[in-house]
Amino acid sequence: MNKTDDQTVAADSTAAVSKRKTKKKNHNHPYFYIAPFVIVFLSFNIYPILLTFYYSLTNYTGLGGIENADFVGFENYARLIGDSFFYEAFFNTIKIWGVNFAIQITIAMGLALLFSDMRLKLKGLNTFRALFFLPNIITIASVALLFSILLDWNYGSLNQMLLTLNLIDRPINWLNDPVLAQGWVALIGAWMWFGNTFIILMAGISGIPKDFYEAAYIDGANWWDTFTKITLPQLKPILLYVFITSIIGGLQIFDLPLLMTDGRGAPRGALNTMVIYLYNQGFSYANFGYSAAIAYGLFIITIVFSAITFKTMYRSQVKVKKGGRK
Amino acid sequence: MKNSWKLASLLCGAVLMTACGSDTDTGSDADGDSNGGGEGSVDLVINSFTDELAYPIEVFEERNPDVNIDLQIIPTENYVDTLRPALESGSGAPDIFTGEIVYLLDWIEQDYWMDLNEYNVDEWSDDYLDYVWELGRNEAGEMKALSWQTTPGGIYYRRSIADEVFGTDDPDEIGEMFSTMDGLLDAGEELANAGYRLFPDEGSIAPYTMGNNPEPWVNDNNELQMTDARLSYFDYAKELRDNEYSALAPAWSPAWYASFNEPITYNAGWEEMAEGEETTEVFGVSLPTWGLHSVLKTDAQATAGDWAVTNGPSAYFQGGTWIGIYEGSENKDVAFDFIQMLVNDEEFLTQWVEETGDVLSYKPVMEEVAQDYSDDYLGGQNHYEFFLERAEQIDPSNVTRYDQRLDQMFGASVGAYVDGVLTKDEALEEFYAEVQNAFPDIEVPESN
Repeated sequence: MNKTDDQTVAADSTAAVSKRKTKKKNHNHPYFYIAPFVIVFLSFNIYPILLTFYYSLTNYTGLGGIENADFVGFENYARLIGDSFFYEAFFNTIKIWGVNFAIQITIAMGLALLFSDMRLKLKGLNTFRALFFLPNIITIASVALLFSILLDWNYGSLNQMLLTLNLIDRPINWLNDPVLAQGWVALIGAWMWFGNTFIILMAGISGIPKDFYEAAYIDGANWWDTFTKITLPQLKPILLYVFITSIIGGLQIFDLPLLMTDGRGAPRGALNTMVIYLYNQGFSYANFGYSAAIAYGLFIITIVFSAITFKTMYRSQVKVKKGGRK
Repeated sequence: MKNSWKLASLLCGAVLMTACGSDTDTGSDADGDSNGGGEGSVDLVINSFTDELAYPIEVFEERNPDVNIDLQIIPTENYVDTLRPALESGSGAPDIFTGEIVYLLDWIEQDYWMDLNEYNVDEWSDDYLDYVWELGRNEAGEMKALSWQTTPGGIYYRRSIADEVFGTDDPDEIGEMFSTMDGLLDAGEELANAGYRLFPDEGSIAPYTMGNNPEPWVNDNNELQMTDARLSYFDYAKELRDNEYSALAPAWSPAWYASFNEPITYNAGWEEMAEGEETTEVFGVSLPTWGLHSVLKTDAQATAGDWAVTNGPSAYFQGGTWIGIYEGSENKDVAFDFIQMLVNDEEFLTQWVEETGDVLSYKPVMEEVAQDYSDDYLGGQNHYEFFLERAEQIDPSNVTRYDQRLDQMFGASVGAYVDGVLTKDEALEEFYAEVQNAFPDIEVPESN
C-alpha cells in the first residue's frame, strides 16, 4: 500500500465517519417533527387524565384549590360501584344509544343500498348526501331548543298538528313521560347523525367491486342474496368502525338530553345519562372528586364495550377468512 | 441547516413560553405600565353574566375619562365554570366580577373577592336592606360582595279578573285575602268557579310553603330540615292540580308566557272536558321584582296596564346579583370607586331607577323614589313601596348554599306526586335519595 493509497483510505474513512455523524444527526430530526404533537398531547391529554385520576382519589369540591382537598383513597370508586344513580344513568345511556343506533343504521343502510343499487341508478346523490348531512352541522343546542319547542305540551307544533288531524284527543306531554322522552332523544340523535353514517356506508359500498354483483346477478342471485352474501360481508370493517365510533359517542351522549329538559335528567331521571351525571356531580353539586371517579368508570365501560365489539366482529371476520381458505 | 433547526427550536420554545406565560389579557395583572389607555389611564376588566352593568359603566367612564372598562359577559350557564378556574389560579382573573345567589355563599368563603371593609363599607350598612347586606358577608365577618338591587317576590295578578271575581282590584285588599295559604286556596276556588285559574302551574305556591316560622333547608349540624310546612307543599300542590286551580302551564314554557296575554289551552290533564272549555284564563303568577321588567313588560304587552302586584302568604326573594373586587386585582382603588358609584351614589342610583325600574337595596334612594311613584304597566301602582316592605321581612339566616338545588329537587318530587306517578312517601324517599347523592355530607331524615 503506497502513500496515495493510505491517503485515499484515510479520506474514505473520514468521509464514512462524517456520513455516519450526519446520519446520526439526522436521526434527531423526527423528534422535532413530532415534538409539537407530543407536547400538546402531554399537556392537554395525558396531564389532565392523570390529574383527573388524582382528583378521583380526593374529596375535591372545586373550591379553594386541590391542596385543600382530603385524600380519600379509593372511597369514590367504592361509592361508584354501589351507586344506583350511576347504574340508572348507565342503562339510560344504553337505551338511548341502542334505539338511536338501530334507527340510524337502518335508515343509513337503507338509503346507502338505494343509492348504490346498480339497477335503480338513482340520480342526485351529491344533493341528497348534502341534505342528509345537513342536520349534522346544526349545533346541538339549537336542535334541542327547536325540538323542545316543537314538542311542547300545549303549544308545540307536533301536538297542534296531531290534534288538527284528529289523530289524538288530547295533547301528549312528550317530554314528561320517561319512555317518550328517551325515545325522542334517540330519534333526534338518529336524525342528526344518520347522514354521517350514510356517507361512511356509501363510501364502503362504493369500494366493493362491481364485478361481484354482476357475477352474482348472472348466477341468478336476487337483491337479498347480494345484500347478505356480498354487501354485508364486504362492509364488515366499515360496520365495525361505525359501531365502535357510535358506541364511544353514544356512551358520551350529553348535550341533547341535557338541553331538552331540566339538565338533571327529567322526566324522572330518564334523561340522566352517564355524562350528565358526571357533569352534575362535578359542576352542579361540587363533588369533583366523585365526578372524576365517574369519568374513570365511564372510561373503563367504553373500553370494555369497544373491546367486546372489536373481539366479536374480528372473530367472525377471521372465521369467514378461515372458512374461505378451506 | 444546523442553524435553521436551532432557530426553529428557539422559535418553538419562545411560542410555548409565551403561550404558557402570557398575561396580557388579565385585568388583574394590569399594572401601571400595562394600562393601555394612554398616560395615567386605568383599564378595568369586569366579568358578569348579564349586560346590566353596561349603563353604570357608561356613566362611570363619562365621569372618569381616564378609566377604560372592559365588560366581559359570560353566559350564565358557563359563568361559574369559566370564571372559577381564573379565580383559583389568578390567571385571566378580572378586576371586578359579579355573582348570583346560587353560588354566592360558596364564593364569599373563598379568597376570590377582597374584603370590602378595607374601604370601610360597613359604615354604609344602615342604608341597605338587611338581607341583601348580610348575604354578602362571610362567616368571618368579611364583606365580600355588595348588591345594588333587591329581589323580593310577590303575586302579580290581572286587575280585570280580580275586579270581576272579587269585586275589587285593590292590591291591599287582594293581599289581605292572600295572606294565608287557606285564603289563597279559597281565592283559587272562587276563581275556578268563575272559569279562571289562580296560577299557571303549581310552582307558583312553592315560595309560600315555608310556613310562619321558616327554617333553613339545612341546619348548622348539616341536617336536612323537612318541616311540616315544607311537607305541606305536596298537599297544596295536589289541591291546586286536582281542583283545577292551576292551568298546567309549567314555568318558562310557551304556555306559561302565553298565559299572561290570553286564554290558554289547558286540556292536557283532565279526562273529561266539557265542550267549549278547552281554554282558560290565568289570574296571576308569583314572580320577583325582576319579573316585572324581564318577563311581564317584555312578554305580556297585550295586558299592559291590567296588572298589579301584591303579597302572598309569606315574604320571599328570588335571584339577585352581587358584585365585588377580585382579591388579586392591581386596580382595587379604581374598582372600588366603580362599586361605590354602583351601590352608594345617590345621583347615579336615582338615574338607574329611572332608567331600569330596578328595585334597589339602597334605602335612601328607594324611599325617596317610593314617595311618589306610579307604574303605568301596574295600573298606576307604586310597587317600590310594596317591594321595600316585603324585602324588610326577609330573614337572611334562613338562606343556605343548597337552597336553589334543593328547591329544584323538591319541586321535581312534588311534581311527580302531583302527576300521580309517585305516592307522597315514594316522592319523599326519592327526594331524600337525591339529596344524599348530590350532597353526601347532608344528613337526611329517615323515610317512613
